[in-house]
Amino acid sequence: MTAAVEIAEVVKEFGGLRAVDRVSLRVAAGERRVLIGPNGAGKTTLFHCITGTLPPTTGRIAFFGQDVTRLPEHRRTALGMGRTFQISNVIADLTCLENLMLAAIGTDGRKWVLHRPMVVFADVRERALAGLELIGLGHRADETPRRLSYGERRQLELALALTARPRVLFLDEPCAGLSPSERVRISKLITDLPRDLTVLMIEHDMDVALGLADRVTVLHQGRVILEGTPGEVQTNAEVREVYFGHG
Amino acid sequence: MRGARLALAAAVVVAAAALPFVAGPFWMGLVTQMIVFGLLALSVDLLLGHAGLFSICHGSFFAVAAYTTAILHVRHGAPTLLAAPAGLLAGTLLGLVFGLAVRTRGVYFILITIAFGYVVWGVAHRWSSFTGGDNGVTNVPFPAVAGMRVESHTEYYYLALGVAALCALGYRVLIRSPFGLALRGIKGSESRMRTLGFDSNRHLYAAFVLSAALASLAGVLYVYYNRFVNPVAASFPVSVEAALMAIVGGSGTIVGPFIGSAIILGLRNWVSSFFELYAAIMGIVFIAAVLWVPEGLVGLAARVRGRAARA
Repeated sequence: MTAAVEIAEVVKEFGGLRAVDRVSLRVAAGERRVLIGPNGAGKTTLFHCITGTLPPTTGRIAFFGQDVTRLPEHRRTALGMGRTFQISNVIADLTCLENLMLAAIGTDGRKWVLHRPMVVFADVRERALAGLELIGLGHRADETPRRLSYGERRQLELALALTARPRVLFLDEPCAGLSPSERVRISKLITDLPRDLTVLMIEHDMDVALGLADRVTVLHQGRVILEGTPGEVQTNAEVREVYFGHG
Repeated sequence: MRGARLALAAAVVVAAAALPFVAGPFWMGLVTQMIVFGLLALSVDLLLGHAGLFSICHGSFFAVAAYTTAILHVRHGAPTLLAAPAGLLAGTLLGLVFGLAVRTRGVYFILITIAFGYVVWGVAHRWSSFTGGDNGVTNVPFPAVAGMRVESHTEYYYLALGVAALCALGYRVLIRSPFGLALRGIKGSESRMRTLGFDSNRHLYAAFVLSAALASLAGVLYVYYNRFVNPVAASFPVSVEAALMAIVGGSGTIVGPFIGSAIILGLRNWVSSFFELYAAIMGIVFIAAVLWVPEGLVGLAARVRGRAARA
């Protein structure tokens, strides 16, 4: 069976710094994979290379068997990649509803319609509202993200990625900076996602990570040092060493 | 609220229609000029206010359209039905070329558009065998289509007003469309829009060409009003002032660029009648506008209304 995401020997260098060092990964369709590792391990850079935000220095990236290494970011989105950013990246000047309506038309031809108002596309509006309901912000559709709390913006970020209906979702620390109750809510939301949606997630919180993951990949200094089930990772001595420090 | 806006719109329409009955030829000429340059400012603001690109070459499209129409009329005796669309087409075609500037962003985009503008100005200025050099092309007739002929500046005022009104309506549809929303999304966060599947460069290119087409239309209207065109139309100040009109009036709105055009042209007329350094005065006005009213007069009005509503 073809993997949802398969990368081979991916390297990303910034000047003399090798942020990602010959990483190979294979994530099966429907799998939930969590990437963990200390700060500076190269997790976000690896995400950037896979989703096309940054071109890899060398290596190969395949998405459902198709080589996408040289494909621009927006084409990868059209193939079914969706992602959230570590730092919320929502459009602050548009309303929450408009943000999600853009997510709904990003991969279809209607983004080029210029002779009819957006409001006539009732299905786009429905999808956008459904995205807002999912994160409990249905009543704030007409407000701009400026008026949302930090945690609400993080959730809007997730709704943006989901409204685009991706086949593979890349989540970059979706729970970072959230309150404990918001954290529970988002974890549950991710757990309840349909099982045919493949999820790759970077997460620092071990409880969240290990609770959600089918498999875990541990990165350290740009390299994969271990891949295994949550149980295997938890008991591995090397991981305890780099991740939790001595002791 | 909605009723008040409708009443205001109706009052504007009545005032615009009645204007020639109360204003003399000088004022009618000035108001026509305000409409034409308001349209040019509106075209610049499609990029500035909606897509977040600061273009300083719109005088080029404006001038190329004006020159094309003028040359076809004066040297080739072409009818309006050919000369006017040809001007529109020529400016738009230039937009297809200059639009390649959208591969850059920020200060590089500004610099490239300035350079483009100088190329066109240089050609207008130096290629005198074709463009007439500093004298330009003179004796452009009033437009005439199928026996219907504009005979006076007052009639031309109505024509310009009608064209501008149609453009404003079309513009309104455009900025409310998915395409227009996408432009504002790109202005807000281009990286986010790319991850949502938008090819931001293609969207910006399309916006640039549409904007050039609107500037070209303003150029065609200009040449019939002015009855001649010279390199001043392609000069740097025209491009800069068009952007400043949008900013002073209210960037990102439809009436803003027209209000800005009225303020700047009105002020220039008034100040230059008793003060030779009017350019310096205009500069100070621009600085004051950018420092204290960056959202323009339309934005300022909204802010005052908001404060009144809260009080």
